[in-house]
Amino acid sequence: MKKSLKTSFVASLAAFVLLGFAMAPAAEAARGGGGGARAAGGGGGGASRQVNNSSRDARANNVRNTSVNNVNSSRNVSRDVNIDRDVNIDVDVDHGHGGWDHDYHPVATAAVIAGTAALIGSIVYSIPPSCVPINYGGMIYQQCGSTWYQPQGAQYIVVNPPY
Amino acid sequence: MIPKKLAPALALLALSLAIPSVYAQTAPAATVQPTGNAVDPASIEALKNMGAHLQTLKRFQVSTELTGERVLADGQKLQHTAAADLNVYRPNKLRARMHSSRSEREIIYDGKHATLYTPAQKYYSTVEFTGDLGELIVKLEEKYAVQMPLADMFLWGTPAASFDKIESAMNAGQDYIDDDLCDHYAFRQANIDWQIWITTGSKPLPRKLVITNRSDEARPQSVSLMEWNLKPTFKDSVFKFTPPKGATAVELHSTDKK
Repeated sequence: MKKSLKTSFVASLAAFVLLGFAMAPAAEAARGGGGGARAAGGGGGGASRQVNNSSRDARANNVRNTSVNNVNSSRNVSRDVNIDRDVNIDVDVDHGHGGWDHDYHPVATAAVIAGTAALIGSIVYSIPPSCVPINYGGMIYQQCGSTWYQPQGAQYIVVNPPY
Repeated sequence: MIPKKLAPALALLALSLAIPSVYAQTAPAATVQPTGNAVDPASIEALKNMGAHLQTLKRFQVSTELTGERVLADGQKLQHTAAADLNVYRPNKLRARMHSSRSEREIIYDGKHATLYTPAQKYYSTVEFTGDLGELIVKLEEKYAVQMPLADMFLWGTPAASFDKIESAMNAGQDYIDDDLCDHYAFRQANIDWQIWITTGSKPLPRKLVITNRSDEARPQSVSLMEWNLKPTFKDSVFKFTPPKGATAVELHSTDKK
């Protein structure tokens, strides 16, 4: 009795899980739209489904500090101590030297780069053909005159110049 | 006033409270009083042993899952995750793959060229370099602000990992990481607190690393879990980078220049 109850629970759980899996592609298709631009080379890691950050709140980019990943890093020693919370902290300080996981470039929200109309933190789906890719700190940026973009999935976010 | 039932318990409590002070008075030399920020030599020794063991590993794979934190302007924290897999052949070959929901990147080093590769856009940057993995890691960070995942694993056991800066070191007991029994140590140095879980026994391997950044009052913390494969099956060809069709060479910006 006990055993059959257990198996039926497992069976219903399995059915539930299966249902969950069956529904996932439908949901993905419904969201679709701009498909085809899935991040290439996904391969392992289970992160092959395309990430869409268009609903992300701009505040999530307004980063003043981050965790560090290494003990023996020159970064730990040379960092500015930046804990004054009353001051409007220059969020760009120090972040070019982020850890290997810091692949979000912080942006000061609602700032406009001098000489352009590009709003820092805004998301665009394509960039001008004249942009030049540059690897800074292990991350790829696109420099288009005085405007800098960082790829995020299939989109680009307007960022402060990284250097 | 005191319920009858509780009286014996209270008496016992009073007695138990009294005992340690009596003990302390009669045998002060035997008490193990923590002395502020003392550096426990055995904990430092454990780090040295682990570092020495890491340096003996010639050919291995190590992978990590990392949870990091970003502090927003108002002090609110957001967590994120990233992962990395490294194929290593000492002294001077490495291939690291870093992946997260934001990006996928690779660092490939064959002993002569270090390449950063971004598969999504097929962008690569190659710089010439000769040196061992410890030297590569230091140079990538200092000259290009590029941080290698698990950099510590290559620096412990070398002069680049100095224990002189450690202001406090303690043994925090034992703990399991997955099925591995580990010794847990905690350290303080400069503006970081850090903890490490090292497998017990004669072949100490780090299984978990937690670093708390004290330079910000929100104390953003990273947690890295490590998995080791000391009998890898990869071929030497994994350390060779050949630009795939349609790949574009991209400048790697040096932090020396503005």
